[in-house]
Amino acid sequence: MTAPVTTLGQFITRQVTLGGALARFFVHTLGAWRTLPREGRRVARRVLLNQVWFTALQAIPLVVVLASILSFLVISQAVAELGRLNATEYLGTLMVVAIVQELGPLLTALIVVSRSGTAIAAELATNTVMGEVRALEGMGIDPVHYLVLPRFGAALVSVVGLMIVFDVVALAAGLVAATANDMAAVRYFEVVLRSLSTRDVGLTLAKGAVFGLIVGIVPSWHGLRVRRGPTEVPIAASRAVVVSIVGVFIAAALFVMFI
Amino acid sequence: MTAIQFTALPMGDSRADIRVPMHHSVAVTGDTEGGPDGLVGMALGLDPIPPGAQVLVLGEDVSALKRRDLLAFRRRVGYVPAGDGLMQNLSLAENVALPLRFGSPLTSAAIASRLKVVLAVVRLGGAATLRPADADVDQRRRAAVARALVFDPALVVMAQPFDGLSARSAAELLETVRGGEVAEGGRRTVFIVGSDLPDRIRPRLEAVYRVAHGTLTPNA
Repeated sequence: MTAPVTTLGQFITRQVTLGGALARFFVHTLGAWRTLPREGRRVARRVLLNQVWFTALQAIPLVVVLASILSFLVISQAVAELGRLNATEYLGTLMVVAIVQELGPLLTALIVVSRSGTAIAAELATNTVMGEVRALEGMGIDPVHYLVLPRFGAALVSVVGLMIVFDVVALAAGLVAATANDMAAVRYFEVVLRSLSTRDVGLTLAKGAVFGLIVGIVPSWHGLRVRRGPTEVPIAASRAVVVSIVGVFIAAALFVMFI
Repeated sequence: MTAIQFTALPMGDSRADIRVPMHHSVAVTGDTEGGPDGLVGMALGLDPIPPGAQVLVLGEDVSALKRRDLLAFRRRVGYVPAGDGLMQNLSLAENVALPLRFGSPLTSAAIASRLKVVLAVVRLGGAATLRPADADVDQRRRAAVARALVFDPALVVMAQPFDGLSARSAAELLETVRGGEVAEGGRRTVFIVGSDLPDRIRPRLEAVYRVAHGTLTPNA
């Protein structure tokens, strides 16, 4: 009779323990920059730029295509439907709330998780399995300094940067969709800008930053947790993606609930 | 003075001590606790020390050190891990420079200067620009040794350092590791753990312990 309760209790205990370990890893990573020597910072910056190249710049075409298609489809439909109801002023609210504030950060984070989250987790897991992480530790080098910090920073910069690209492209594609559906460009800008406040911009950037923190830390943590052997590498990559996605969605829900 | 002192290590049903005096070269071969790398891991605080046992390295109880102090302590000890542990995305020279960049306040020029000296000591030559995957086992091992020697440590611990090397290369490697100048002016202390040793190496060591079937045999 008590077996299901025991199992549930063990599951919850395990999840809380893992959550605590992840939180400690996050705090350690945040504080690691202060203890990095000058030359180490130079190397970490170089690795960070390489990571930004792969994580952000190479993902721009995908973000542009997704943002364009999504925004074009939504705004085309919205202009037609809202036009029939003579309620096109709500187009701005739809654009700002649905696309700029919600879908922009969310889809950008998902793109970075699927492209780079897997890569980061697999790379660090391979480093661990190959004994490279143990060697770094044995030489007195904190693996967080060399392996985690640059990837964490790059994920943060990339999610925020790509989110801005996504939102700008979505606004432009919305303009194309609106004008294609007989809405004047001036009217489009009027309704969108009327709905877009400084608070919205700040909130969207904050959301992108929080998603970036999640996408930056979770894959690294899963990559470095590998212990047994090469068969754990794909498992680590898969777990990193799942946990990152769940984390991003929970954070998005918390933003809606509390802010 | 003792460089490493393992006390009350579990060996089968009994417990054993292993002592590595300063300026000596000591090896432990065979089926050691936790695998061949286990003793080295314990000496560096990488692996947990069994209950009831104690490990003192350069006078420090490594199990009592906090993480930051432990990292600083490890920089006082040269470490050649099993399988070399070189970062595959860096050249051999960049691998050697890594501890200097991330573990010292040295400037870029000072690092370049130190790197030149260490690469010359291990005679890595033109191979320094190769990635580990493009280098042969001898070059990779020399790079791993160079990386262990960058801080000119008084003590070097090595896990299976001679695997895949010819007897002559192994002997040269050992002499390179032992030969550097240290603060006291003597030879470096070397602690080697491996499943076996090449014949040319044994006469060069002050002590060889053998672990088999849970029994430690000194001067095997």
